[in-house]
Amino acid sequence: MNKNLSYQRRMRLQYASLMVPALVLFTVGLIVPIIMCFYFSLFSWDGFAAEKVFLGLGNYTQIVHDEYVMGTWKFTILFAVMNSIIADVGALLLAVLLDSAIRARTLHRTLVFIPCLFSSIVTGFVWKKIYSVVLPGIVESLGLKIYTQLFGSPNTVMAGLTIANCWQWIGLWMMIYLAALQSISPEYYEAARVDGANAVQRFFHVTVPMLMPAIITCTVGLTTGALKTYDILVTATEGGPGRSSNTIVYYTFNAAFKLKQYGYGSAMSVSLIIMLLIVAVVQLKLFSKKEVQL
Amino acid sequence: MKKAKAPKPKYTWSTFGLQLIALVVALFFAFPLVIIVNNAFKTTRELAMNHPLSMPEQFNFNNFANAWKKLELGTAFANSFIYTGVSVVIIAFVCTITAWAIARGQSRFFRFSRVYFLIGILIPAQALCLPIYLLWNRMGLTNSKLGLIALYVSTGLSFGIFLQTNFMKTVPIDIEEAACIDGCNVYQTFFSVVLPLLKAPMATLIITQSFSVWNDYMLANLMIQSKFKRTVIIAMKTLFSTTTSDYATAMAAIILSATPIIVLFVALQKQFIKGMTIGAVKG
Repeated sequence: MNKNLSYQRRMRLQYASLMVPALVLFTVGLIVPIIMCFYFSLFSWDGFAAEKVFLGLGNYTQIVHDEYVMGTWKFTILFAVMNSIIADVGALLLAVLLDSAIRARTLHRTLVFIPCLFSSIVTGFVWKKIYSVVLPGIVESLGLKIYTQLFGSPNTVMAGLTIANCWQWIGLWMMIYLAALQSISPEYYEAARVDGANAVQRFFHVTVPMLMPAIITCTVGLTTGALKTYDILVTATEGGPGRSSNTIVYYTFNAAFKLKQYGYGSAMSVSLIIMLLIVAVVQLKLFSKKEVQL
Repeated sequence: MKKAKAPKPKYTWSTFGLQLIALVVALFFAFPLVIIVNNAFKTTRELAMNHPLSMPEQFNFNNFANAWKKLELGTAFANSFIYTGVSVVIIAFVCTITAWAIARGQSRFFRFSRVYFLIGILIPAQALCLPIYLLWNRMGLTNSKLGLIALYVSTGLSFGIFLQTNFMKTVPIDIEEAACIDGCNVYQTFFSVVLPLLKAPMATLIITQSFSVWNDYMLANLMIQSKFKRTVIIAMKTLFSTTTSDYATAMAAIILSATPIIVLFVALQKQFIKGMTIGAVKG
């Protein structure tokens, strides 16, 4: 008995030793920066001066009163909501569509998937050219007058970025839904059909419940992905026109490295971290309730 | 997992309707790709004078040669291959041993570790660019190849460990127990028994991480200033930021930069899809 116990302890120590590299790298590369972020957010600091001025929660009260930051938050949240809903529903519907009996399914799937192999700065640049050069050319030769420069006005920049962002990412999440669809046994559909359910009813009462684990993965992934948007803005809008398309990450990057407001930037990062955690916890809670009901 | 092949459903009028919708969708997704390829072969004069949808007058590869020379893509490609290759191999290995330890070690410490690593999925490195830069600067790791690789590894761990622990649940423990009935240690078990079983999920991890490391702009831009250490994506960005009307070269550069990733995807497509099924769906 005693020998057995010490054997188990030795095994456990050996297993633990395998985790040392990951624990060290992860702690240094992610956990320490999170703690640093909280610490810096309490100071006014330019990043280089030896003296930091302690502000307490001063940076946070300034954020609440800063019109630009609030505008940035509004844009970030709206962008995340729009993108996660459109891309999630789009990916699910496309997966069902490209899993149906249509011809040339592989070709269709490949075309939808390819955009996610490009860098986001490519997406931003290409769609900027489409909106500013290609579409105006097409509209003109059709003799129509439609405003196509979606990145050029604060009112349409959100729509323009959403189209570009969904174009890039829908394919990736569609692949996950497609994979999950394969694991649903056809018997469920057969049973539903026997009970007289039409295609729409089968979708909502068989497909959606069976895909719940995949839906959770995709929704959480899409929302956090949209909340951290940065790369696409660098080439698409540079946060413009004016300041109309700044996300929190984009604004923080500029506050820190262009304006040297390290303390203020850190406070914004902290607010983003809190936001990300709240969103993830709320979504997981909501979805796990749904799963229990099945 | 495998199910009997169902008889092919009949092609009805409603299928035809779906086919039309699929065609429209495919056109939307293909349109920007067509624009990239089409413009990559045009001259500056054609860009300015001709209709944006017109075909290039002749297919020559001048833009590609230009992009290669202007951006010194030889160096940039070598750098990108090093960053991607080294960090992805390290990620795949470290994530696999960690996930295996989490799955097999049975105590509170391992359950806690699983949640601890999940923090990295919820809080992405993008939100932490500022403290990461300061920390790396303090350690002398900014503008260094080693520093960027370390950053890619530490930010890639969470997703990898998440994917691998999900896969571990499908690996039966019996084989390991049988192999080590006479009490060989954990390291021998891992290398002689477990590692060969895990080739497939490791391949999945290698592909997904290669995509994100190769295409990363933000972290590379944050860390690397030297022209001799920059990645393909950073080099390409210099063509995007200029306001010149010669974006044909930029389009050619886009094709060049995406080629390795597209080749990798085509080569390992089956493996990738299989891994996504197991890792992401059975979570």
